[in-house]
Amino acid sequence: MELTREDKKILHRLQSNFPLTPHPFRTLAEELGLEESEVLRRTRAMAEKGIFRRLGPIIDTHEMGNTASLMAMRVPEGRIEEVSRTINAYTGVSHNYLRKGKNKEIPYNVWFTMSAPNKQELVRLIKEIEEKTGLEVRNLPTTKKFKIGVKFNIYSGE
Amino acid sequence: MNIEKVVTSKTTDQVDIKLLKHIQDGIPLVERPYKEIGEALGMTEEEVISRIKGLLETKKVRRFAASVAHRKIGINSNAMCVWRVPSDRVEAVGKVMAGFPEVTHCYERPTFPDWPYNLFTMIHGYADGECERVIEEMQEKTGVKDYVILYSEKEFKKTGTRI
Repeated sequence: MELTREDKKILHRLQSNFPLTPHPFRTLAEELGLEESEVLRRTRAMAEKGIFRRLGPIIDTHEMGNTASLMAMRVPEGRIEEVSRTINAYTGVSHNYLRKGKNKEIPYNVWFTMSAPNKQELVRLIKEIEEKTGLEVRNLPTTKKFKIGVKFNIYSGE
Repeated sequence: MNIEKVVTSKTTDQVDIKLLKHIQDGIPLVERPYKEIGEALGMTEEEVISRIKGLLETKKVRRFAASVAHRKIGINSNAMCVWRVPSDRVEAVGKVMAGFPEVTHCYERPTFPDWPYNLFTMIHGYADGECERVIEEMQEKTGVKDYVILYSEKEFKKTGTRI
C-alpha cells in the first residue's frame, strides 16, 4: 500500500498518542485539518493493510507488577521449528526470533522475550522450557533501560 | 485528599484488568470507540476514558497508540547490535547510543563467560545498509569497537505485551 501524505499525517499522530475524547477521530481530524469520515476511512484502510498492528494500550509489563526478560538458546539446526513451537505456546512470549551474528559467530540462535506475573513464576517457566526441550535457556534480564520507545520517523522514507 | 488513589496506585484493580484484556488487541475503529467498549463491559463512555487516562498516569500503559508495522512502511533495514562496553563506561555509552534517532531500544543486560556483550541496541532504518551506517557512527562516537550485529533470519512470534 502506497501511503499518501494524508495517511502519513494520520499515522504519525496514531503512533504518538490517540485522543481520549468521546469522538477521537473528530479530534484528530480537527487537528490535521481533515474530515472525520476521511480520517476514519484512512485509518481503517491502514489497519486492513496491516500498516499498524493494533490501536490500543501499549502495556508496561513492569509497571503492571509483572516481570519480563530476554532469553537466548542454542538450538541444534534440525530442532529449531519444534523448539520454537514449544516456546510460542506460552502466552507470556511476545517475541521470538531466529538470529544470526553477521560479523561474528555467537553462541545462541533462538531469542525470545517472556513475561510472567512475578520472578519466581518466570524462573519456573524457564525451567519448564529447559525440561521440555532438554536445552539450556540463558536468561538476560534488563539491568538498565536507556531507551524504550518504538516510534518511527514516518516521513524520512520520502 | 487523595489518599485512596495514592494507596492503590501500584495495584491494578479488577475493572482495569478487565478493560485492558478487552482492548489489548485493539479498540474498534468506529466514531465512538470508548462508548462501544463501555457497552460491552457495562461501563459508561466517561469511565472508559478516565480509566485509560488513569492507566497512562500510573504508567501501566506506556502509550495509547498504534503499533506501526515498520516493515510495511518501508523501514526494511533492522538490526539488533550488541556491544561489549567496559562497566565503568556503560552509563555514558548507553546515553550516547540512546541519542541516535534510529536506535529504538537501548538496554544493559548481564554478561556470562560465553556472552561478553552487555549493551543491547535495536536499530531501524529505511534504506538498505542504513543500520550498518548508523552502527559505524555509533562506534565512532563511543569508541566501542567490540560488537556483533544480529540479524533476524526468521520471526516465529511477534505480539504486543498481553496480560
